[in-house]
Amino acid sequence: MAASVSIDPDYCIGSGDCVRVLPDAFELREDLGVSVPRAAAAETDVDLLVQVASACPTQAIRVVAADGTVLHRSNGG
Amino acid sequence: MADQADPARPGALPRSYATTVELSGYEEIREALFSPDLSRTFDTRSYAEGNIRDGIVSTAHGPMHRARRRVENTQFRPDKLRLYEQTLFPAVMADLLDVLLVGDEIDLYRIGEMLASVLASRRAGIDIREHDLDELTTIVEFVDIFSQGAAILDAKDPDAVRERVYAAYERFERDYIRPASERRQAMLDAHARGEIGADDLAHDILTALLQHRVDPSLELGDERRIVREVATYLQGGTHTNGQTVVNAADLLFAALPEQPGILDRVAQDLLFAQRVVHETLRLRPTTPKIRRRTVADTTIVGRSIPADALVVLDIVRGNQEPTLFGADPDRFDPDRTVRRDIPRWGLSFGAGSHICPGRSVAGGFPAPDGPSAAADHIYGLVPLMLQALVRRGIEPVPGRAQERDTRTERFTRWAHYWVRLGSPKGGSFAR
Repeated sequence: MAASVSIDPDYCIGSGDCVRVLPDAFELREDLGVSVPRAAAAETDVDLLVQVASACPTQAIRVVAADGTVLHRSNGG
Repeated sequence: MADQADPARPGALPRSYATTVELSGYEEIREALFSPDLSRTFDTRSYAEGNIRDGIVSTAHGPMHRARRRVENTQFRPDKLRLYEQTLFPAVMADLLDVLLVGDEIDLYRIGEMLASVLASRRAGIDIREHDLDELTTIVEFVDIFSQGAAILDAKDPDAVRERVYAAYERFERDYIRPASERRQAMLDAHARGEIGADDLAHDILTALLQHRVDPSLELGDERRIVREVATYLQGGTHTNGQTVVNAADLLFAALPEQPGILDRVAQDLLFAQRVVHETLRLRPTTPKIRRRTVADTTIVGRSIPADALVVLDIVRGNQEPTLFGADPDRFDPDRTVRRDIPRWGLSFGAGSHICPGRSVAGGFPAPDGPSAAADHIYGLVPLMLQALVRRGIEPVPGRAQERDTRTERFTRWAHYWVRLGSPKGGSFAR
């Protein structure tokens, strides 16, 4: 199931935890000090995405299912 | 940049709390640590402006905290961890152990701190002579004072601690931060002129802070904040690693009657050594009780907590939740089965935005369930230290009492831990 993944740059602290667990779905932008989703994030297993989002230290990751259901809210909304 | 004991701003933070709430369940502690409504800036006597931890990342809250972590987390990337773990540390550790492991009674805590201080100094950004035992002793003395400051809320004589910390900041700034800053600023200037590349810059916290200090979101206008910040990373990377290697040895020695082969397993299997360290952290967290202040009315796992409440998080009890860690959660069992989404170290590195930035330096990446790890797995410096010490044959000194640090209420802190060298462990693996 395709998902929409976004990261709130105001909350992300660039811990890199998401990149370590799902390197195909996330990457670090060292010039900004934050993680960003890669295109492949949309095709990543949603359970894994939600697991990573739940472990994000600042809850910066938002995961929305293809049908619009919010599977994991970020601190930014 | 001399630090002054400025009085705390009157009324900046409450001197008393609306109420005190203690949380001891794993999930409620975890939710509390993730909550943006719980702050670490909570006590005028230690954390308000002008006090010993003013403006450092570990007591900041909100946008400045996140901005600082963004800059500092760049020093904890896997490529840097591997460089330290696979290249820099093993060589330094072997050299130092040759000269430190001598005599009939050896203080394991002192050795653990001295080993850890080498890389903690590099990562923090101060320049030391790494094979000079006198200099390492000086660094460890600084670390001891900064550690008392970090644990001031549990100090038995906080005024004495505060006085020692102020004096230490002055010496630390004069002898280490100022010369290190001048060298790093010269490199940054050369980089700005295009004379050297980014890879030629020092890779450490001090360089990162100097490079970004003009960014107002970091709030580094007061240079004393840089002194305190670098001191915090030096302290965090030294003291906790030294304490953890002692706690691991203590638990291993206690387990010997039931598991006589456990030291050989540590000597032969670095992945097992890593599980030993994770189990040690679970049972002996560096900070047994974490405190927070609510900055707004909030709810934690359905429990309403008013603003300005003191929230005490009992990490020891949370880490021994039977539903997560089994029917014998207080037993030292590095082989215990733990759910994949639960860290084997429990909540001992904290969680949420203040999670320990050096957790992967100390304990590596989460240990896989199977008998082996990927080739690029990061084991952590404490497992490396523990394995090296076990291979050389450390054992308790018969009849010699171990000494806890009685200056603090934290039961996981040691002042001295006496060992001697017995037979090397690990057969052909032993050096």
